[in-house]
Amino acid sequence: MLTITSLTVAYCDRIVLKKVSLEVMPGRIMALIGPNGAGKSTLIRAASGILPIHSGKICVGGRDLADCLPGERAKIVAVVPQARQLGGAFSVEQAVMMGRTPYLNWLGREGEADKAAVRSALRRTGLEKFAERPIAKLSGGEQQRVLLARALAQETPVLLLDEPTNHLDLQHQTNLLSLVRNLAQQQHIAVLMAMHDLNLVAHFADKVALLVSGDLMSMGLPQEVLCAELISKAYETPVEVVPHPLTGAPLIFPGNRS
Amino acid sequence: MALLLIAAFVASVALGAVFIPPGTILRILLNHLGGIHLLQDWPASSEAIILAVRLPHAVLVALTGAALASSGAAYQGLFRNPLADPYLIGVASGAGLGAVFAMSLNWPSTLLGFYLIPVGAFFGAIMTVILVYNLARVNGLVPLTTLILAGVAVGSFASALTSYLMLRTDLQLHRAISFLLGGSPMSGWEPVIAALPYMIVGMGLLSISGHTLNVLQFGEEEARQMGLHVDRAKVFVILVASLTTAVAVAFSGVIGFIGLIVPHIIRILWGPDYRRLIPLSILTGGIALLLADMLARILLAPSSLPVGIVTAMAGAPFFLWILRQAKREVFW
Repeated sequence: MLTITSLTVAYCDRIVLKKVSLEVMPGRIMALIGPNGAGKSTLIRAASGILPIHSGKICVGGRDLADCLPGERAKIVAVVPQARQLGGAFSVEQAVMMGRTPYLNWLGREGEADKAAVRSALRRTGLEKFAERPIAKLSGGEQQRVLLARALAQETPVLLLDEPTNHLDLQHQTNLLSLVRNLAQQQHIAVLMAMHDLNLVAHFADKVALLVSGDLMSMGLPQEVLCAELISKAYETPVEVVPHPLTGAPLIFPGNRS
Repeated sequence: MALLLIAAFVASVALGAVFIPPGTILRILLNHLGGIHLLQDWPASSEAIILAVRLPHAVLVALTGAALASSGAAYQGLFRNPLADPYLIGVASGAGLGAVFAMSLNWPSTLLGFYLIPVGAFFGAIMTVILVYNLARVNGLVPLTTLILAGVAVGSFASALTSYLMLRTDLQLHRAISFLLGGSPMSGWEPVIAALPYMIVGMGLLSISGHTLNVLQFGEEEARQMGLHVDRAKVFVILVASLTTAVAVAFSGVIGFIGLIVPHIIRILWGPDYRRLIPLSILTGGIALLLADMLARILLAPSSLPVGIVTAMAGAPFFLWILRQAKREVFW
């Protein structure tokens, strides 16, 4: 379980996050939404324990991340970074093995447990047949699965994703998010995920947190947060929300066509 | 690879103004090292040449090549930049300045003096690498262009200071320094003995940094999130790579491009995994510099060229080739 309590983060004198508190249960996905510059990425980075925080606390299963060494931290929180073009001649398997960094011995040699974890991460992300391929030769969707597999190899109870579906087409977006949802449920991983596409959020998230200028404006079930009034206000754009004809999940589209 | 190194080593000892057949070399070595007493059927002069001149020379050349190649590989990984080389980023010139400064304070008439040269070179190297890294960094990245520009600028400045120091010293030191700047290994056993402890420590520690360098290829932030103690790891690799470079420069002078060429050949043949790249660079670096050194001695026989000239002649075209490849992002 990921618990963030009254988290305040500042870059120089500019406050980027103001007393944000939220909780993600194991097996659940919380989506983090909000306009550009609202502090979504900052919250993801802070939750991974690599940013100096001004005040507040980030705990996983009662353990404060601030008290952890880098290696211990990487055993409880893993991050899937924003989709981008990956270069490099490393093979998929080598890249995923790097997720095992906190478990390797001082020589950086892998043991049987590490190999097994990598095999399982490759299998769960459907990358087995790409294991020997250089990552630079993969498509955007496949590269994003490599980053997911690398995070899975860390075997953490908490997974953070920073706009994992940017630059991916519809097919790869839905594939990746279904994969994340299944993994969360099967492995009881608590997932916190920054997202732009509100309709995907409505479809895949169990809970939604709406961040505006560093403030947590609203948090709750998708149908509670994704309502025309809140979203129009947060994004300063009129929107209409109607229920999905099949699932009943909220559907959001620009309103006020004039 | 190890066999190739031995072959290059024996060939290097055999070649010279007087050719000594490899069989004789092996028998002389066995007689001295193996505790086996063979009937002496070789001229005493051969034995003297080998033990006092060629053998220490070959050992120092092999060690220097190994040190430059492995620290080149480490700098490339650290800066995430395929053109990092101890020579091109100015570290070698900085180490040269440090070494010359140490020599000008106390010309080594004793073994203790020899031990102090690498210390001076080490300080020169560390100061240069920190300066170049900070000058070249843009938004947490070290782009190709700024790295090379900063390296050239700082390296030229260090070379100029070295020349200035050199002109102020007496003739004996003057000659020693000009050999150093041209890239010619010192002769005799003393530099080998002085270099060996630093080299073993430096290359040993580089060899165990492979995984760290692998993880750093994804960028510092992701490396942190994967559990790497990034700041500590960077300082460690900088210190060790600079120590290794500094020792090579202190005793063999400023030799360019070995640290660039060797890791690249290995990447092409065996892939980018630094856990293998660094040990293989050590072996291949030794071979490459032994070969370059043999060429240097053959080309103008009976006199010899500084080996730095040979590596530069082979390395500069290679550098341009990598520059073209790097544009297409083949390696990174």
